[in-house]
Amino acid sequence: MSASLLIGVPSKGRLQEQAQAFFARAGLRLVQPRGGREYRGSIEGLDVDIAYLSAAEITAQLAQGMLHFGVTGEDLVRERIDNAESRVVLLAPLGFGHANVVVAVPQAWIDVRSMADLDDVATAYHARHDRKMRVATKYVSLARDFFSRHGITDYRIVESLGATEGAPAAGTAELIVDITTTGGTLAANALKVVDDGVILRSQANLVAARAMAWSEAARGTARRMLDRIAARERAERFHEVRTRFPGCNDELLAEARERFGVVPPFGGPTSSGMLTLHCPPGHVYELAELLRTRGAEAVSVIELGYVFTNENPLYAKLEDALK
Amino acid sequence: MSATPTIASDLTARRAEPEARAAGLLGHFEYAGYARAEPPILQPAEPFLDLSGEDIRRRMYLTSDPDGRELCLRPDLTIPVARDYLASAAAGSAAAFCYLGPVFRHREDAPNEFLQAGIESFGRRDSAAADAEVLALALETTAHYGLAAPEIRLGDVGLFAALLGAIDLPAAWKRRLVKDFNRAETLDEDLDRLVLDAAAHPEYQGVLAALAGADRQGARALVADLLSIAGITAVGGRSVAEIAERFLDQAALGNGSRLPQEARELIRRFLGVTGEPDEAAATLRRLAADAAIDMEAAIDLFETRAGFLAARGLDVGAIRFSTRYGRSLDYYTGLVFELHDPGRPGEPHLVAGGRYDGMLSRLGSPAPIPAVGFAAWIERLEQVGGAA
Repeated sequence: MSASLLIGVPSKGRLQEQAQAFFARAGLRLVQPRGGREYRGSIEGLDVDIAYLSAAEITAQLAQGMLHFGVTGEDLVRERIDNAESRVVLLAPLGFGHANVVVAVPQAWIDVRSMADLDDVATAYHARHDRKMRVATKYVSLARDFFSRHGITDYRIVESLGATEGAPAAGTAELIVDITTTGGTLAANALKVVDDGVILRSQANLVAARAMAWSEAARGTARRMLDRIAARERAERFHEVRTRFPGCNDELLAEARERFGVVPPFGGPTSSGMLTLHCPPGHVYELAELLRTRGAEAVSVIELGYVFTNENPLYAKLEDALK
Repeated sequence: MSATPTIASDLTARRAEPEARAAGLLGHFEYAGYARAEPPILQPAEPFLDLSGEDIRRRMYLTSDPDGRELCLRPDLTIPVARDYLASAAAGSAAAFCYLGPVFRHREDAPNEFLQAGIESFGRRDSAAADAEVLALALETTAHYGLAAPEIRLGDVGLFAALLGAIDLPAAWKRRLVKDFNRAETLDEDLDRLVLDAAAHPEYQGVLAALAGADRQGARALVADLLSIAGITAVGGRSVAEIAERFLDQAALGNGSRLPQEARELIRRFLGVTGEPDEAAATLRRLAADAAIDMEAAIDLFETRAGFLAARGLDVGAIRFSTRYGRSLDYYTGLVFELHDPGRPGEPHLVAGGRYDGMLSRLGSPAPIPAVGFAAWIERLEQVGGAA
C-alpha cells in the first residue's frame, strides 16, 4: 500500500456504480490505472488507494482493521461483525442500496400478523409437531437477536445458502428472515412480512475501521476527503435564497427560521436589507412567498454545489471514534 | 518436598487442592451408588440446540466433521450422560450416574472452559423418594465445600402445570401462561397486563365467533375451503387445518382480550404461596378446594417429597419454597431447586437441578423415562472457600 489511506469499494454491479457516483458528486473522481490491475484504483487529487472487493470482503476487512474506510451495507456490518460498534463506526448513510431485513411468513398464515402471534404459533407448533418451527435465513445473528428481543425461543435457525425465500415451499423451513427491496420476491413466493417484523432498514454506509493504523497522514487525507463529502451533503440539504429589501430584518429572519428551518450562513440581514439564506428545498416556495409579502421585489434561488464550513461533523465523528 | 520450590511444583501444589476436593466429591457420589460416567467431550450439536434453544447456540463451540455432521464441545454434561445411558443396555431401567469434567461455553468475563460435577438418576418410578435423595446429595455437595447451611430455593413446576390443566381457559391463554411462567420471574405482576391480541380483522370477528360457537367443525372446514379457493395451500409445516383452528380460536377470544378475572385471581393466589413446604401444601389444598379444582396428585407428590426430605434428617423448615420458582429450560416437569451461598446474595447459584421427565423422550427414547439430577458449579463452590 503506497497511499496513506486505503478504502474498500464494491467491485461490481449497481453498488459499484452508485458508490462511484456518490464519490463523484463530492468532487472525488475514482480512477483505475489504464491496463492496470482491476482490483486497485485511486482517487484523483487525494492520497488514497482504492481496493475493489465484494461487500462481504469489505465488511470482513473492516472488522479486522485491514482498511481505513469501506462502502458496504449496514445489514452486513450488523450481521457479520460481532459487537459491531466496538470494531467499526458507521460514519454516514450513503442514500443507496436500500433494503430491509424482515421476518416473512407464508401468506397462508392468516392467523399471524405480529411477532406476538408468531410467538404463540411457535409454542403451538412445537407442541403439535414434536419439533420446533424452523426459520431459514442468512442473517443468523440478526434473526437470533430479534427473536430474542421479542421473547421467542421455541424455534430453530436453518442457515440458508441460496434462495431463502424458496425454503417454506420446499419444506425446509416454516418461515424466513430475509432481505427485501421491493417486496416482489416475497410476494412471488406467497410470503408476507410480519407487521412488526422489520429487523433493520439497511442502506449502504461509509464505514470506518477502528482497528486500522491511523497515522497522521491517514487522518489528514481522511479529513480532506470527509470535508468534501460533508460539503456536498450539506449542499444537497439546502438551496440558496437571496433577496434585498428594506423590510428585511432580524424579526423576519427569526420567523423564517422557525417556520422553514432556514439558516443564515453569512450572518443576518445587512443595514440595506440584503440577506442570503440556506433553505430546505421543500420550503423554498413558501419562503419566497413570505419574503415577497413583506416587501421583497425579487427573490433568487439557486441549487448549491458545495458548502464548506469550519465544522466537519463527519470528521468529528471519526476522530471521536478513534480516541 | 524440595528445599527450593520450583514454579512447576508450586503450580502443581496449588492445583492439587481443588482437584482433590472435586475428586473427593465424586468419591462421595460413587459411595452413594452413583456410577462414574465419562461421556465424550465432542458431542453432536443437535440435541443441545433442540433442547436448549437458539440462545445457547450463540455460546456454543461448534464444529463439523468431513461428512457435514454438526458437532460441538459439550456445553453441559446432563445431555451427554443421558445420551450414553439411552445408547446402553441399561436404557429404560433404573440407573444412577455421577460425573465431573470440563464443559465449554463462550462467556464474556469468565473462562470458556470450566468444571462441572453432578448426578443423574434415571428410570426410578418412586419419584418423590428419588427427588429427596437427589436434593440430599446436592446439600452434601455444598457441605463438602464448607457450606453447611446453604439457602435452598425449591419449586415444583408440576403444580403450575396441574393448576393450568384443571382450570377452564382457552388454549392460547394456557400456552401464554406457561411461556411467561418459564421466562419471567414477574408473572404475577404481569397478570393484569397480560393481553392476547387477535390477528383477525375486527370487522368479521363477530361472524367468525358466531360460526365457531354454532358449529366448530363446519367453521374450520369453511376457513380451510376459503384458503384453498384463494389458491393458498399448505406452505411450510403448518397444515390448513392448524391455521383455521387457531384463526377461529382468536376470533373467539376477541381483540386485546385480557385474562379472565376468575383465572387471574386464582393464579395470583397460587403464585403467592411461599414458605415452608408443609404450610405451602396445606395452603394449596385450601386453594384447590376453594376453586373446586382437582390438584390432588400434584400436591400429594409434593407432600410425599417433603416427607422423604424430613425422613432424611433435613431441616424442612429451612427450605424456601415458592410456587414461582421455575427454570428457563422447558423440559423440567416437577421438582426444581437452587442452592445459594447466603453470605453472597445476588451471586448465581452453586448447585441447580430438578426433575426432567420429558428430556429422555426428547432425546429419542421411545417411552418416557423418569429423570432427576443436578449440576454443581465447581468454580463457584471453590469460592465459598475452605475444604471439608
